[in-house]
Amino acid sequence: MKSETTFQSTTMAPPVESPVHEPPVDRPAGRPRSNIGLVRPDGRGFLVDWLTTVDHKKIGIMYFVFAMGFFLVGGIEALLIRAQLAVAENNLVSPQTYNQLFTMHGTTMIFLAVMPLSSAFFNLLIPLQIGARDVAFPRLNAFSLWTFVAGAVIINLSWFFQAAEALGWFGVAGGHTDMVPAVGWFGYAPLTMTEYSGIGTDFWIFGLQVLGIASIAAALNFIVTIINFRAPGMKMMRLPVFTWMTLITSLLIIFAFPPITVALGQVMFDRFFGTSFFNVEGGGQPILWQHLFWIFGHPEVYILILPAMGIISEILPTFSRKPLFGYSLVVFSGAVIGFLGFAVWSHHMFTTGLGKVATAAFSLLTMAIAVPTGVKIFNWIGTLWGGRIKFSVPMVLALGFIFMFMMGGFSGIMHSSAPADAQQQDSYFVVAHFHYVLIGGSILAILAGTYFWLPKFTGRMWYGSLGYWMSGLVLVGFNLTFFPMHFLGLIGMPRRTHSYLEGTGWQPLNIVCTIGAFLLAFGILLFLIDLIRTVRKGPPAGNDPWDGRTLEWSIPSPPPVYNFAKTPVVKARDALWADKHGSSRQKLGGVESGSHGIHMPSNSWMPLVASAGLLLVGVSMALKQAGVPFCGYLAIGGLVITTVGIYLWALEGPGGYHLHPRPNEGGARS
Amino acid sequence: MSSPAAEAHAHAAEHPVEHMPTGLNTKKLIMWLFLASDCMFFGTLITTHLIYRKIYANLGVDPIEIFDIELTTASSFILLMSSLFMALAVSAIHKGNVKSFRWNLIGVIVFGGLFLAGQVYEFNHFVHYSGLTLESGTFGSTFYLMTGTHGVHVALGILWLLSWLIYSYTPRFNSAEHAIDVETAGLYWHFVDIVWIVIFTAVYLIEYV
Amino acid sequence: MSDAATASPHHDDPQFLKEEQKKYFTFMNLAFLMTALTGIELVIIFLPFPGSLLIFGSLIFLSLVKFVGVIFWFMHLIYDKKLLTVIFLFGMTLAAGTATALMFLFSESHVDQELPFYQEGLIQEAQDESGP
Repeated sequence: MKSETTFQSTTMAPPVESPVHEPPVDRPAGRPRSNIGLVRPDGRGFLVDWLTTVDHKKIGIMYFVFAMGFFLVGGIEALLIRAQLAVAENNLVSPQTYNQLFTMHGTTMIFLAVMPLSSAFFNLLIPLQIGARDVAFPRLNAFSLWTFVAGAVIINLSWFFQAAEALGWFGVAGGHTDMVPAVGWFGYAPLTMTEYSGIGTDFWIFGLQVLGIASIAAALNFIVTIINFRAPGMKMMRLPVFTWMTLITSLLIIFAFPPITVALGQVMFDRFFGTSFFNVEGGGQPILWQHLFWIFGHPEVYILILPAMGIISEILPTFSRKPLFGYSLVVFSGAVIGFLGFAVWSHHMFTTGLGKVATAAFSLLTMAIAVPTGVKIFNWIGTLWGGRIKFSVPMVLALGFIFMFMMGGFSGIMHSSAPADAQQQDSYFVVAHFHYVLIGGSILAILAGTYFWLPKFTGRMWYGSLGYWMSGLVLVGFNLTFFPMHFLGLIGMPRRTHSYLEGTGWQPLNIVCTIGAFLLAFGILLFLIDLIRTVRKGPPAGNDPWDGRTLEWSIPSPPPVYNFAKTPVVKARDALWADKHGSSRQKLGGVESGSHGIHMPSNSWMPLVASAGLLLVGVSMALKQAGVPFCGYLAIGGLVITTVGIYLWALEGPGGYHLHPRPNEGGARS
Repeated sequence: MSSPAAEAHAHAAEHPVEHMPTGLNTKKLIMWLFLASDCMFFGTLITTHLIYRKIYANLGVDPIEIFDIELTTASSFILLMSSLFMALAVSAIHKGNVKSFRWNLIGVIVFGGLFLAGQVYEFNHFVHYSGLTLESGTFGSTFYLMTGTHGVHVALGILWLLSWLIYSYTPRFNSAEHAIDVETAGLYWHFVDIVWIVIFTAVYLIEYV
Repeated sequence: MSDAATASPHHDDPQFLKEEQKKYFTFMNLAFLMTALTGIELVIIFLPFPGSLLIFGSLIFLSLVKFVGVIFWFMHLIYDKKLLTVIFLFGMTLAAGTATALMFLFSESHVDQELPFYQEGLIQEAQDESGP
C-alpha cells in the first residue's frame, strides 16, 4: 500500500548541499516494465537518465547546452568571415569556403542557436510559470529535443564530408566538390538545383526538414500546455508575459513551418526526381521559391524575437519593482505583431519587381508592424518610469536590449519603404539591420534571461563583477562590429562578398568591424566562464533572490522534479508578487495532491529511437545524392526505425510512479 | 476491473488531463492544432499547382484529355463514404458498442483502400497512356506531388486505423479509455477527406469550366 | 478525478444514447446530401453555359457546403467547444488568405513567352519520347 510517512529532513536545508529534497517514492517493486514488457529506463545511471528523460527541466537544460554548443560553432564561423574581410583582397579562406561559412553561420545561428535557446527557456519556464507538473506531452517534448539534435547533426555532418573530400577520402563522381551548404541561409532557386550546388544542399534540405518536425512538435506541445494545463485561477489575462509570447511564438511556428516544409520537399523532388518546381528549363519559377521561403521566413523573424520580448517583459518589472506598464497592451501588441508577420513576406522581395500595387501594399503593412513594436517599447519605458531600478546584470542587458533593438527597428522601418530598400537590398546595411535585431535583440535577451533564471535552475547565484564586464564587452563589441556596417552598406559594400578591392574605401571600416567581432567573441567567452564558475561554486541562491513576480520563484531552487508540492491556486496577475505584497485576498492557494501523491511519468527510450531514425534518413538521402550505394535502402531503414519507435512509444504506455512531497515543501507558499 | 493493475492503468490514463481550465480534451486539442497547421501545408501544395496552371496557358496537352472525371468523382464518393463510416465508428465507440465500432472501422479501411487503389490506377494510367510524368514540366510536378502527398496522408490514416482495429482485439483495449484516441484518429481521417473535397474542385472540376 | 471532457462514454445514460442516435441520422442525411452534391458537381461541369462564371461559382459553393458539412458535423465542431472552431478556422483563413495573395502576385504577363517550354509545353515532348 501507499506509504503515508512524510520525509523527515532538517527544515530549511541549504539548497546547494542537498539540491533535491528526495521525497518518498511509490514505485512498483523490481524493474518496472512497460505495457509491452520492455524494461523501462527508470532509476538507471546518469547517462541513461538524461538520454531517456521526459522531465521538462532536464530537456530544457539539454536544449540550452546543445544550443550553446552550436552558438559557439556559429560564432567561430562568424569570426572566420570577419577575419577574411578584415583587409582588402584577402585570401584567408577560399571563395567556396567563404560561401559555406556564411551559409552555415546563418543557418546555425537561426535554427541551431537562437530557436533552440528560446526552446530551452520555453521548456524550463512554461510549466513553472503556469503552475503545471510538466508539459502536456512529456515524451513528445523529448522527441522534439532529440529531433532538433538530429537535424543539427545532419546539417553539421557536412563539414566532416568536406574534410574527407579535402583529404581525398570522399568524392562525388563527376559532381561538385562542395559538401557543405553554400547557397545562403535562404537557399534561393535556382542555386539549389543540382547543376549549381553539391550535396551540401541536400544536407541543408534534410536538416531543415527534420528541424521543422522538431519545431512543430514542440510548438503544438506548448500551445496545448498553455491552453490546457494552467493552474486553477491562472486565467489567460493573468499569464506571465513570457508565457504569452511563447504561446504566440508557438502559433507562428505551426503556421509558418508548413510552407517551408512543402517548399523544401519541392526542391528535394527537383534534385532527386527531376521535377520542375523551380527548374527554369521545365517551366519552374525560381521566384516561387522566394515567396514560399519568405512566407515562412518572415514569421520566423518574429519566432526569433517574440520570446526575447517575453524575457525582457519579465526582467524589467522585477528590477524596477513595478508591475509591467500596460500588460494587456503588451500582450495584444505581441499578438498583432505575430498576425501581421504573415502579411508582409514580400518586403524581402521588393527588388524583384512585384508590381506597384503589391509593393505598395506590402510596404504599408510592413510600416504598420512598427506600431505594435513601438507600443511595446513605450510600455517598457513606462515600466521603468518612476521605478526603483536596480542595475543588476540581467537589468543592464535588458536595458541594452531596448536600446539596441530600437536601433534595429529604426533601420527596419527604413527598409519598409520600397525605394529606400532598393538601395539597401543585399548590402551590408541589411547585415547591420538584422544583426541589431538578432544579437542586439534576441541574444542580449537570452543572455539577460540566463543571468535572471540561472539561480533558479542551478540553485546557485552568480557572483562578482564578471557579469558586468561581460555585458559591457558584449555591448561595445557588438556596436563596434555592426554600427559601421550601416555605412559600409550605404557606400556600396555588397552582402556575401568574399573579398573587395583596395580602392573601394571599405578597408578602414572593415578593420573596425573585425576588431569589434573579436571583442564580442571575448565577451561571449567571459559569459561562458561566468556560467561555468557559477554552476561549479556559486553561493546558494535561495528560492526567490530577485523578489520575483511569477510562480517559478515560489518553489525551491533548483526546482524539485515534481515542480509544485501543492498545485497553486492563483488569485491575481503577477501571482507571487500579489501573494507577497498584495492584499490578503490575493494570497496563493494550494491544492494537495491527494493520498495517491503526485504522478510522475516513466522515462522512455522511444523518443530517442524515433529521432535516430530521422537522423539516418537525412544523412543517407544526402549521401544517396553523392552516389554512395545502398543509401536509398538506409533511408528506408531510417523511416522503419522511426515508425517502430512511434509504435513502441504508443504501446508502452506512460507508466510512472508516485511521489509524496512533505506538506510544506516547495509548491505554493503557505 | 478492480485489480490494482487496472486501477493504476486507468489512473495513468486520466492523469494527463488533471486540470483543464478550458474543459477541452488535450489530445483533441493538439489534433485540431495540427490540422490547422496542415491547412497551411496543403494550402501551399494546392496553391503551387494553381499558380502554374494560371501562368501557363499552354501545357502541351489539355488536362481534360488526361483526367478521367467519372473515375475521380467515384473516388470522391468513396472517400466521402469512408468519412461517414468514420463518424459512425466514433459514435459507436462512445456508446461502448465495440462490435459496431469494428464493422464501421473496417468500412473506413476498405473504402480508404479503394480510394488508394483508384489513385494508383489513375497514376498508372496517366504515366503510361497520357505520358504525364514527374518530369513533364510543372503540371506533372505539381499534380503528382500534391495528389501523391494526399495519398500518403490517406495511407497513413489507413495504417493508424488498422492499428486501432487490431488493438481492439487485445485485452488492453477499453472502449471507455480509448474512445478519445479513436476520435482523434477520426479527426485526421475527416481532414484528409476535406482536403480531397478542395482538390477535387480546385484541381479537377475547375478544368472543365 | 474523472473529467467531463475525458470522453468517458455514458453507456447507460439514456440521454446520451438518445443524442448519439440522433447524430446517427444526422450523419446519414449529411452523407446522402453530400453524395447528391458530388453528383451535381459532375453534371454541371458538362452544362453548355458560355462564360461559365455561374458554374465556377456553383462549384466553389458546392465544395464549400461539403467542406462545412464535414468539419461541423463529422468532425463534431458544432458539438464541441468554440475554441476548436476558432483554431481551425484561423489556420484555414490564413491558408486561404496566403493562397489568394499568391494567386494575385503571379500572372501570365510575368512569364517570358519566348521560352521553349512555353511555346511547346513539355508533356508533348515526353509523349514523343515514350510514344511508339
